[in-house]
Amino acid sequence: MQHRIRKHPILSIPDKVEMVSFTCNGKSYQGVKGEPVASALIANGFHVLSRHPKDHAPKGIYCANGQCSNCTVIINGKPQKSCVTLLEENMSVRLLDDLPEIPNDTVAYHGTLQKEYTCDVLIVGGGPSGLTGALECAEMGYSVLIAEDKDRLGGKLLLQTHKFFGSVDDCYAGTRGIDIARILSEKVRNHPNIKILLNSPIVAIYEDGYAGVFTHSKYYGRIAFKGLMISAGARERSLVFPGNDLPGVYGAGAFQTLVNRDLVLASKRIFIVGSGNVGLIAAYHALQAGIEVAGICDILPEVTGYKVHADKIRRMGVPIWLNHTILSAEGRDVLQKITIAQVDKSFRPLLDTGKTFQVDTLLIAAGLTPIDEYYDVAKRYGFPVVKAGDAGEIAEASSAMFGGRLAARELSRQMGKEMPVRDEWYRKAELLKSKPGKVWDVADIQLKETFQPVIRCSQEIPCNPCVTSCPVNAIRLNPRRHDLMDIPEYIGGCTGCGKCVSICPGLAIVLVRKKNEKQAEIMLPFEFIPDFSEGSHIPLSDAAGHDACEGEVRRIRYDKKTKTHLIHVVVPLDKALSVAGIRVQNPEVTKYLPNPTPEYFPENALVCQCERVTAGELIQFIREHQVRDMNQLKVLRAGMGACGGKNCTVHFPALFKQAGVDPQDVVPVKFRPLSVEIPLKSIVNEEDPHEKI
Amino acid sequence: MKKYDVVIIGAGSIGVPLSFYLSRKGLKIAVIEKNHSVGRGQNRAAIGGIRATHSDPAKIHICKRSLDIVSHFKENYGYDISWFQGGYLFPVYTQKDEIALKDLLTVQHKHDLNIYWADREEVEARVPGIYSQGLRGGTFSPEDGSASPLKLIDAYTCLARDSGVDFFFNESVGNYEKDNQNIHAVKTNKDLYAAGLFVDASGADSRELNARLGLDIPVFPESHEGGITEPVKHFFEPMIVDIRPGKGSSNFYFYQNDEGQVVFCITPEPPIKGKDCENTSEFLPMVSRRMVELYPRLRHLRVRRIWRGLYPMTPDGFPLVGWAPGFNNYFLLAGMCGQGFMLGPGLGAITAEIFTGKASAYDHILHQLRPDRSFNQSELLK
Repeated sequence: MQHRIRKHPILSIPDKVEMVSFTCNGKSYQGVKGEPVASALIANGFHVLSRHPKDHAPKGIYCANGQCSNCTVIINGKPQKSCVTLLEENMSVRLLDDLPEIPNDTVAYHGTLQKEYTCDVLIVGGGPSGLTGALECAEMGYSVLIAEDKDRLGGKLLLQTHKFFGSVDDCYAGTRGIDIARILSEKVRNHPNIKILLNSPIVAIYEDGYAGVFTHSKYYGRIAFKGLMISAGARERSLVFPGNDLPGVYGAGAFQTLVNRDLVLASKRIFIVGSGNVGLIAAYHALQAGIEVAGICDILPEVTGYKVHADKIRRMGVPIWLNHTILSAEGRDVLQKITIAQVDKSFRPLLDTGKTFQVDTLLIAAGLTPIDEYYDVAKRYGFPVVKAGDAGEIAEASSAMFGGRLAARELSRQMGKEMPVRDEWYRKAELLKSKPGKVWDVADIQLKETFQPVIRCSQEIPCNPCVTSCPVNAIRLNPRRHDLMDIPEYIGGCTGCGKCVSICPGLAIVLVRKKNEKQAEIMLPFEFIPDFSEGSHIPLSDAAGHDACEGEVRRIRYDKKTKTHLIHVVVPLDKALSVAGIRVQNPEVTKYLPNPTPEYFPENALVCQCERVTAGELIQFIREHQVRDMNQLKVLRAGMGACGGKNCTVHFPALFKQAGVDPQDVVPVKFRPLSVEIPLKSIVNEEDPHEKI
Repeated sequence: MKKYDVVIIGAGSIGVPLSFYLSRKGLKIAVIEKNHSVGRGQNRAAIGGIRATHSDPAKIHICKRSLDIVSHFKENYGYDISWFQGGYLFPVYTQKDEIALKDLLTVQHKHDLNIYWADREEVEARVPGIYSQGLRGGTFSPEDGSASPLKLIDAYTCLARDSGVDFFFNESVGNYEKDNQNIHAVKTNKDLYAAGLFVDASGADSRELNARLGLDIPVFPESHEGGITEPVKHFFEPMIVDIRPGKGSSNFYFYQNDEGQVVFCITPEPPIKGKDCENTSEFLPMVSRRMVELYPRLRHLRVRRIWRGLYPMTPDGFPLVGWAPGFNNYFLLAGMCGQGFMLGPGLGAITAEIFTGKASAYDHILHQLRPDRSFNQSELLK
């Protein structure tokens, strides 16, 4: 029985995929040809992919992004990262339980010349900002090379099945990320000035004006460039808590990759740490894939993502535990339960408020760190360089797309060709980057016999598709600030077409009308595959996500363009204005065990997962060895592992603080290439004589 | 003003061990360092090899002492420094190199070094899979080995602190208070340090530092590049040194450390002069080609990280050890030519003995390294 997603409301599931056989530890399995080996393994129920050579602790997938090496297994006799090695017929996989052995190979060296590329502008990362940046540079006449580390363009857009916020004119608001990726990649591919390298991470920027690139996990080459755009996105911050290394604990991005890209049903029930947009959207993606979401927690007193996102998730039946932190993750070999607890004003956990949930996956969505090391390096060398998108500042992809264009203009200026930028662009860029603003009271409407919208969008966010989609201009932004952040309001004239209902990315709009003296009719958006039919009774939630009432389904329509169902339900008249959404998840899923028994030893939490170094060891070392340079922590091997310190070094400042040292007085870790490990045979551009290519 | 018996300038591979050995002799020691912590000059870039099998008596003598110290470090001091006695192997593919290395064996045997000519079969057994075409054998010295530069300097720092050494970080040397032949005190950006004896252990900065005293000390940094791979199961034990010249490089060397990672380094030819430690695109393909040529199975290893470090070179390739010309109380431990890490422990111990009056025993050997020598010889095995 394979764990795969067979139906999905938004993603198209291919009718036929080519299945191939492979072996794992000698037994035969089936996987989809060309999918990452890690995904094939997880689809076949493998969650422990290796055991750490130091203490034999189980390791599972972690980044699903080729960045760490948690998923290394032996493929056809050689250690490979299974998340970036694509499955082929008859592959032999062996799970690692010790250091890998390298084959005794005596075939003489037969390398070929190094691959060389040249361009005016090298774009590091073909996501939302890289693509718009590339187009802008190409339009200005530069020859552009996009180096993208995945097998297709689009970056995080490819994982985003939700509709975008922002404005329709500037960043495709109301369109789903996956569709925006398609539109932008098409434009880029058709542009004569743009060349694209896929599966090609940039691994170094060198002082002599070259970038090192690792193409197709096979060849190393160098790229001569004149200007650089760093649009490499962001990496997910890991969290330090006991059990953070158990297979089943991983980043929300890795989850989206497995579920939305590879269509692997990676989990049965998840819990999410972090109520930013990433965590909220991961919950929504899980529900769409048929995965239960036991809850979301956040240490802060307020949701950090958009309120409309949070409200939407709550209405679907997912509780958000604010003022709660993750205490521990536990399980034998794989994650079985997690415990959260309330925190006091200083964010210390109150252990007697622990709540234990039985889940098989814990998603970490505790924030993002820009991938901007190359920016600093290029600056140091004096090259023209700009950052764009999340690599510059963490914000929504809508902002990244606009920011990419602006960054391209700035790069051109540095390269000696100034293109005027209107002030309005800068204003807009700032606006799209905005964090959610004030929350306003929203006036209720007076019920009528014709449809009118109830707009539950009360927090200032940069978004306007409801306004631009309305064919009769019945919705406007209430001009308090006179910009995109203003709150939408209904100004009369609704014809009941439902366009605003189906386009709103926050699913925050319903249409309501008085049907008769006892009943009201409500038109609700629904982004799932309906498991009900006309005549069924379905549970409905109020604005805050509590039970409102049941509704009788009268009509089910499907808006193909937005891939959204419009569900007409009839409810008692007195509930007309309280119904805000359709509950999709059974409340049983979200219950916690009455008696929490967490093993809570925070000093045992791993900071460096690659080399298995704990918080306790590091703090003690900092104190006893009077450490004032983060590089000294390498004595314990922290930061020396395969990920190159990408996951652990972000925690070092906090450790120094705990050890009583002001992190300001400590030298930060020095970033050194390579950012991805590369086999020597690739550096010398050797074809492997033992490998069929 | 602070008062010490000895002030050491530079908390690196040389200064830190010396501070420990001096403090153990009951002297009050200050170490002044411009960086935030120990080992942030070139110790961080050292790859970790330690051998006594040099070509000259002085370095042989010092490194024998180093080997004796590091091989007993854990039992004597309790610190694990990742010492691994894998030996050094110089595989030989040309008649010229065979003659040169065999000639050297005579000198090395004179100094009681355990090193011998290993035939081709032995070389192939010690380095399974080494490129065999044209392989003539090589020299092998089983008592040499490697340790972690990071761990060793950290251990010495802890030991030094425990025996009372004061470290002063983020302090750079300004001027000296001196009369004709004596330094009285050294001024930093923070304080004034008076002492009876001063030591230059400033590594790559030596020339600039000594210019402040009107001394022209011929130490000229060159940069070399190094790298490290992922860890794999041990598949060979010795440090392998290939002394053949290649395109853009002279020799290169690599070994597998106690974690299972292969650490490698190459000597650029012509040398890259100066203090620039930024990576260039030339190094990785160059060293990779040479490594896979010599040892094809390395092709399967993944490179994790690369870096550049400085070799503070002298005109003849030998260190400067001894009293600074024209000074009675200023000792130079400078121009280690990229071997500061392996020389440091032995040199520290020996220098401490010199300072406490046992110097005579070493005069004849260290004479060769005296700073006022003529620099007309040249080191055979850099």
